Amino acid sequence: MDVNKPVTRSAAVVWRSQLWKRFKKQKLLHLFVGLGIIFLLVFSYTPMFGILMAFKNYTISMGIKGIFTSDWAGLKHFEEFVTDYRFGEILRNTIVLSLLKVIFAFPAPIILAILLNEAKNLFFKRFVQTVSYLPHFISWVVVVGISFAFLSADVGLVNKALLQLGLISKPIDFLTNPDYFWGLAVGSAVWKEMGWWAIIFLAAIAGIDPSLYEAAQIDGAGRLARIRHVTLPGMKGTIVVVLILTIGNILGGGLVGSNFEQAYLFGNSINNPTSEIIQTYAFKVGLKEGRFAYGAAIDLMQSVVSVTLIFLSNYIAKRRSGSSLF
Amino acid sequence: MAGTVWSQVQKDRVMDISVTVILTLMMLTMLYPFYYVLILSFSKGTDALVSGVYLWPKNFTWENYYHLLRDPKWYQAFLVTVARTVSGAFLGVTFTCLVAYGLSHRDLLFGKVYFIIVIFAMYFTGGLIPYYVVLRAVGLLNSFAVYIVPTMLSTFFLLVAISFFREIPNELKEAAHIDGANEWTIFYRVVLPVSTPLIATISLFTGVGQWNAWLDSAYFVQSEQLRTLAFRMIEVINKSNAPSDAIGAANSVSTGVTSYSLQVTAMVISIAPILCVYPFLQKYFIQGIMLGSVKG
Repeated sequence: MDVNKPVTRSAAVVWRSQLWKRFKKQKLLHLFVGLGIIFLLVFSYTPMFGILMAFKNYTISMGIKGIFTSDWAGLKHFEEFVTDYRFGEILRNTIVLSLLKVIFAFPAPIILAILLNEAKNLFFKRFVQTVSYLPHFISWVVVVGISFAFLSADVGLVNKALLQLGLISKPIDFLTNPDYFWGLAVGSAVWKEMGWWAIIFLAAIAGIDPSLYEAAQIDGAGRLARIRHVTLPGMKGTIVVVLILTIGNILGGGLVGSNFEQAYLFGNSINNPTSEIIQTYAFKVGLKEGRFAYGAAIDLMQSVVSVTLIFLSNYIAKRRSGSSLF
Repeated sequence: MAGTVWSQVQKDRVMDISVTVILTLMMLTMLYPFYYVLILSFSKGTDALVSGVYLWPKNFTWENYYHLLRDPKWYQAFLVTVARTVSGAFLGVTFTCLVAYGLSHRDLLFGKVYFIIVIFAMYFTGGLIPYYVVLRAVGLLNSFAVYIVPTMLSTFFLLVAISFFREIPNELKEAAHIDGANEWTIFYRVVLPVSTPLIATISLFTGVGQWNAWLDSAYFVQSEQLRTLAFRMIEVINKSNAPSDAIGAANSVSTGVTSYSLQVTAMVISIAPILCVYPFLQKYFIQGIMLGSVKG
């Protein structure tokens, strides 16, 4: 075929026609991929540009176009949030809840994985593990419902049992007292996600060379010593990676359940002083009160803090242990 | 010497016992809540409020289930939830596989550009509020489609599927090609049949996500007919956490059904399907997190 073509045709034209041939051959694939790209442009990229509204005088009635055509408002919305009388409280709640979850919910799956690894009976081990990650698949709504069945002041099982045992004289308001909210959030996050993340740590333990254990045993290391000197160091890489991922999403709730869902579903008008976080506040102001631009600005502030934390934690991990994400 | 050996054995025994005890306790705290909710749903609603139900249902009754399935508010929510789970999972798997199959071709024109678009979308999001504005602009608000269309493609599963398709030996596709099959036939007849683990994993996670979703039902739809099971449960919980709570009020005096017992029953219905598929699909659940860890 090519022999018949005039030699004088420029290289660019040949290249283009070859490209066109290749494209035609792949047209079905391009159709599939194109649909996917259109989907992403609509549902991922348009909202990204939508963040612009945080710097504008935007109201929902302006539609999508209004995001670009409305007047600039500068940092007005950010200033308003920072000077909001609830700003300090909301920021504190966001940070405290996030930190508590890293401190308590991060080590839990590691401990569980080690315990499971120490269990001798294989059937028992497998059964416990199977049960342990069941709650991961239950929605936060149901988890809140279960907490209600156990902890509510008037129908909760815990309160009823404590009353019957005579340990308390009147029911404890676990679900509405602001003092209990953080414990509730951290406890439920551990309950729900501990087993799930233990899977990854168990896989890390499974990758440890058994001869290391034998060598340690010969050297006279007891089981606790073997955990400390063989199992834990063997998990180090995985622990660091999971920790970085956790800290990267620290304000979102780490890897153990979204802060937003917890704060929103466990939150109520009475425990609001400790349960309101940046995300729920942005959501309420934005969607419920219809102040979209202001809500978007609040949301954006959280993202800025999060991104800073990702780079910071990555930097620290790189310097400290040599393993990092990027 | 003998003494230290003996104490080592003793230490081991103490260790074994404490490991077993801790794990057993932990397992019970995971299992009992589910069991408790189950026996509550079979107890007479008014009894569950006053006296303790701990190990067995009190005044065993099907009344709660009967009532729930007859209450249009609840059974409609149930139907909507089932519909969105099935259609959402189907749509999600289909779309993800199609796009991933296209992207899995290493010689795809503009492949790099497409990839950059996908990766960028995975790491950055516009947040909920601009997202809402988009849903509103494309006219998805207050329709059933808002449950299943915007969730059709997850960039994470897209990448998982691409790497899965790339693992399929090229000989399979080439053989089909020589036999005269076009791209569609190769995809449908050769690639999909060997991708069962991938399809199972994606449909499972998409399905569970659909079944558990609540935010879209609470904020993206207004029509009462479109509410999901999760939304109805939130409704009851919110009502009963309000200062002037009335969950004790029996809906019907003769049957003793209360809004609390209905909510508990709804919870059982919401947990049951997950529990049922759980034993069979465990290996896919695990596969899911392992695929996830590859990304890390």
